[in-house]
Amino acid sequence: MRSISSCGALLSVYYPQIFLILTSGSYLALSSVVALGANIICNKIPGLAPRQRAICQSRPDAIIIIGEGAQLGINECQYQFRYGRWNCSALGERTVFGQELRVGSKEAAFTYAITAAGVAHAVTAACSQGNLSHCGCDREKQGYHDQEEGWKWGGCSADVKYGVEFSRRFVDAREIKKNARRLMNLHNNEAGRKVLEERMKLECKCHGVSGSCTTKTCWTTLPKFREIGYVLKERYTTALEVEAVRATRFRQPSFLRLKQSRGYIKPTDTDLVFLERSPNYCEEDTVTGSAGTRGRLCNHTSPLTDGCNLMCCGRGHNTHQYTRVWQCNCKFQWCCFVKCNTCSEKTEVFTCK
Amino acid sequence: MKSLASLSLWRIIILILPLVSLGQTFEYGWPDNYDKPPQCVDIPVDLRLCQGVGYHQMLLPNLLEHESMAEVKQQAGSWVPLLHKNCDPGTQLLLCSLFAPVCMERPIYPCRRLCENVRDGCSPIMAAFGFPWPHILTCDKFPQDDMCINTPNDTSTSEPNGHPPVCPPCDNEMKMDVILDHMCASEFAIKTKIQEVKRENMDRKVTLQKKKRTIKMGTLKKKDLKKLTLYLKNGADCPCTQLDNTRNTYLIMGRKVDKQYLLTGIHKWDKSNREFKKTMKKLKSHKCPAYENVFK
Repeated sequence: MRSISSCGALLSVYYPQIFLILTSGSYLALSSVVALGANIICNKIPGLAPRQRAICQSRPDAIIIIGEGAQLGINECQYQFRYGRWNCSALGERTVFGQELRVGSKEAAFTYAITAAGVAHAVTAACSQGNLSHCGCDREKQGYHDQEEGWKWGGCSADVKYGVEFSRRFVDAREIKKNARRLMNLHNNEAGRKVLEERMKLECKCHGVSGSCTTKTCWTTLPKFREIGYVLKERYTTALEVEAVRATRFRQPSFLRLKQSRGYIKPTDTDLVFLERSPNYCEEDTVTGSAGTRGRLCNHTSPLTDGCNLMCCGRGHNTHQYTRVWQCNCKFQWCCFVKCNTCSEKTEVFTCK
Repeated sequence: MKSLASLSLWRIIILILPLVSLGQTFEYGWPDNYDKPPQCVDIPVDLRLCQGVGYHQMLLPNLLEHESMAEVKQQAGSWVPLLHKNCDPGTQLLLCSLFAPVCMERPIYPCRRLCENVRDGCSPIMAAFGFPWPHILTCDKFPQDDMCINTPNDTSTSEPNGHPPVCPPCDNEMKMDVILDHMCASEFAIKTKIQEVKRENMDRKVTLQKKKRTIKMGTLKKKDLKKLTLYLKNGADCPCTQLDNTRNTYLIMGRKVDKQYLLTGIHKWDKSNREFKKTMKKLKSHKCPAYENVFK
């Protein structure tokens, strides 16, 4: 029977120092704690590569944002794969970016891409909100008047280039070993960041008289991270199997090649790539990092991947009965409160044996 | 013993799941999840649009994505003249539910019916001043369930009185606040007499006398001022006592829409009226809210 951990629990259990700082109310206290405890915090975070630890020590304000970005990626991953056998949980060593997936699979490809995108997204957002030093709004887009479109750049355009560059510097620093897996991880990290850059939005605000659009100001803004999740999920379904190419037998791998092709065709920048076939994720396996589906919720009437037949890999399922209670028929009462009724119904949930 | 404890734990976990999933069923949520969360602040006394609306605290940023109180005040200011028109009893409630939304755990939007009533009642008057119903108040995007803001007494039915409604630019109280609000909402203001009034399609064409004094120049140029002709938009048939009396001197306000100059306000220049005199005196020091400052 597997427990489902909440986000707060994740942060508090795996990053106790970061969580302590995040819960601190006063900015001054946060600032002083960060300054004093930076070295302690950076040394305590598990799984940091040497260059990552150096960045952490030189930019302690950013490490909190990076943790939030990594968590954003993990949460989105768990949402996108909530109906699959693999649901973005895995056995193995836990690092700043969640579990290290041992198999160079499609799932590993997605995890690396969504995490790199999450860090870039969080850093860019923190810049816009003024929560990070050294960065702010995109200055290239301040005050410039677009003659053709008729509106004016204003507000705070998100500086996604800074976020992407920071993500690249920190996340890619994790890849130390000179092997095929490194090439795969770097490629997928970059694919995630590219998707974020492509999906930046133009947002406009009409602030003429009586809300008219005679005066309009526009700025670039981040997409909702769910959108990035959906795009990368699509890329996951069409991920490409690759292999590493060596210049000579004794040199390190230098680039990735599509495995199915005859020549040396490379994957495109936004393809997700994988080196190894996925395990079936049915049983718990520390070698492959599979968590197994024992105890997972399933839908006993669904023919899809969330159905008990597929989810439980033929092992069968258990039935649990409970009474579901929720607030219903909510009405807003003037002024100002919300009044709801309480509804309940008996229902069943099913878990894999 | 061990399995019983596990079972209890599992039941607790199961009970938590629906509550978590419930949070995702709401159609309306905060605009963007990476922006700063809205905060509860007092409605300032100088946010005149929302004085006396029925609550005292608002969310900032508001539901129109105005991020600072300065921006809220600046954008709300241009709506104050509409309140003076009393075109619908729900006007203030609709506008303030967006400009100064009530402080709740999640945003409460105005009901679609409230929006449609205000739009149907007020958009003809806004059109008379050359303003279309704005995109930010598109009614289709507002909810139709019970989790929204409606007029507290929704039973009010508008009784049609015997008289046709007065032309909106002519229907102004002789009151300092009202005149100053309309002055700020207008692009120019002049003191002059009326030479001729003529019907032209759906509008009324107002020709002014040569002798003019500018009270507020605005975007008007001197050469345009000489041959200025104003239009009472959609005002062919509505009553306007000011236009019927060509002997009086008037304070006339207007703005330019496309190539026409629209009449936005007309007051008798009445020096014997104490309120009018007070207004003219106040006008010299009165500063209109600037519409560009927030974004510079």
